[in-house]
Amino acid sequence: MEDFTLHKVAISGPTLASMIQRVSSSVGDVDGLLFGHVTGITPSTLSDDDAVSPDSGSQQLVANVTSFICFHSPLSFYDSLGRVDSSCLRRFTSSPATHHHHFMGWFSARRKTPIRPSMREYSVTRSLSSKSELSFPIKDLETKTRLSPCVFLLFSTPLPEQVIHTHEYRAYQFRTSRGSLEPKPMDIVNIGPAFRGHYGSFSPNSPFPMLNCELRGSMNEDTKVETLDEKKQNSRDQSELDMCAEGFGIGNLRRLIGADASNTTTTLEDLYERMLTKIDTLAREVEISSSKVLEQENHNRKLRHKIARTSVE
Amino acid sequence: MSSDGFPPFISAQLHYLINHYPDFIKVEQAWSGSRYYSGSFDRFTLLIPYCLDYIKWDVIYNAEFPLAPPDVIFGPDDEDFHPFYTVEGGDGADSRALKNSLSDWNYKDPTKLLALVEDLRDKYRSHQRKLVGEVDDDRVKFEISTILSREGIEMHLTPGAEKPEEVKFAVPLMDTSINKLVHACPWRHEQKIYLQVVYPVGRKYASSPSAPRLKLMSTAELKALFSIEDVKLPTWLDGMCMAEYLPHLEELLHKQVLEAVSLIHIRRRFIEALAPLFGRPLEADPIFCRKATFLAASGAFTFLVHFILPTQFPKHQPSLMLQSTQHFNSTGIPFKSQFQSEYPWSPRWEVPQMADRIFDFLVDESLNFKRYCNESHLQH
Repeated sequence: MEDFTLHKVAISGPTLASMIQRVSSSVGDVDGLLFGHVTGITPSTLSDDDAVSPDSGSQQLVANVTSFICFHSPLSFYDSLGRVDSSCLRRFTSSPATHHHHFMGWFSARRKTPIRPSMREYSVTRSLSSKSELSFPIKDLETKTRLSPCVFLLFSTPLPEQVIHTHEYRAYQFRTSRGSLEPKPMDIVNIGPAFRGHYGSFSPNSPFPMLNCELRGSMNEDTKVETLDEKKQNSRDQSELDMCAEGFGIGNLRRLIGADASNTTTTLEDLYERMLTKIDTLAREVEISSSKVLEQENHNRKLRHKIARTSVE
Repeated sequence: MSSDGFPPFISAQLHYLINHYPDFIKVEQAWSGSRYYSGSFDRFTLLIPYCLDYIKWDVIYNAEFPLAPPDVIFGPDDEDFHPFYTVEGGDGADSRALKNSLSDWNYKDPTKLLALVEDLRDKYRSHQRKLVGEVDDDRVKFEISTILSREGIEMHLTPGAEKPEEVKFAVPLMDTSINKLVHACPWRHEQKIYLQVVYPVGRKYASSPSAPRLKLMSTAELKALFSIEDVKLPTWLDGMCMAEYLPHLEELLHKQVLEAVSLIHIRRRFIEALAPLFGRPLEADPIFCRKATFLAASGAFTFLVHFILPTQFPKHQPSLMLQSTQHFNSTGIPFKSQFQSEYPWSPRWEVPQMADRIFDFLVDESLNFKRYCNESHLQH
């Protein structure tokens, strides 16, 4: 595993905002895992000099943070010395790693502290970077290179009391060759013309399938003979669709076009109705379970405070 | 919640640290990391003495999770200091002690924080020694090789971002314990005198290396006995090194400290000699004999006389201050005179004569003071 240097760490505005929201609503210090992908981009600084042709080595690596898991308690996947517990970590990272959803580092958030990595944070990052079994491939890079989870994001709040809520954050990469945490610039990707490039290389994270319902010409309407391949495709699509809409035939989608369209619309509206009810019920269930979780958390906090208050014997 | 704003388990460890640390250690500021209890501190900046200066480390507890051991953030100049990982690979015997103090953490044990800070400071000292050892300067290399065996020596590399790099040595002087020289010594910490030697680094163009900056420093309480400001440092000759310089300086200091200890006895005899004239002192410093207060009267006017004896007594005369027992200002504070140290004096007088002459001076001075008190009193 070679020691590649990252050019920068990119994170979308909503992801960063939801991280900050999670951090600022936590009772104490929290940490968590970062997911995303690393891409190689060719810098657009074109040179007039033909002799220097851009080779793959001049590609810049950008770490894109796309999602995160936040833990409720400190020392969640490492011990007090910052040694990572691989078996514990595997529970959180074993979800099917897709092409662009790799475990690529971690973050730590602590209020009212200097914004410098601490002794333990250094150790955790170093420990993660040394685990070759956690390494993941870099996208768009010709050479088959892999990178270890070396990204570290640090959140803090300024020491003096401030009128405006301020959150400070910094990105670091652990460099195995130097044994040090290198500060990296952080790029917040937001909607706007300046970031068009980012959306050009957008790849969706959602697992929702592409349904096969292409428009068929009226000419071969009569010759409706399904080939074996089409049948297979249909049944695959149907099973995907059944996850969201039980009983609604994939074939029905086809009827949206043509003479029968008005009748089909009502059936489809019924389907939407059912789906909405389902979502509604789900939302209510989530709400109830969330309040139960909150109740339990408050109870746990009370217990912890009781421990903290008991004077030292 | 304890009175100092820390939860009891942090408070106990912090107090144990402050009371048992062999040197003065203090908390500069404390904050809370909790969302709900912003009055309950669980993180603080520690000022830890190192190399005649302080290093600032932030200790981060978590009041929400009392069982979790604290974390430490080191100073901004020490980002290469990673106590768990030494150059040799990180599992030396010395890092094991440090690791144990964290992995066997018990929040109920008040001694744990002290152990952690001491272990970390030891690691920091070896880290700085390594940094100084890597400095590309022949003179510094030579100095290290000759004085490294001295016990308790500390060194520090001041990184040169704006100013040129400097190597700072803190050399403890004299093997003898000053505390033991003082009868009924009240000092909790061992008093030491240090020589601070600062070498500028990297001035390759200089033909002959300039003399290092030298400064004597001492622990704060030593002032009661001996003022290092009175010591005139021997000159650092061209081409000298510390191993040559130090023995001479130590000999000089040894002589002066012994003399300072012997002066306690003379001050005591002086205070005793005042007693037949003024009566028993109301208050006197029994150990260093630097202060004594007597009650005196001039006719019906009674007043206190404060004697402040310098460490250089009898070469330097005592300062006197008079304080009325009868005149007070509007806030109830008694009138006091200025400190007086301009009166007839000779260090060659016998001790009883010194007392006599001061008594004579005060007979006249008390009249002036009485007049001053009466006049000021009328104005109020």
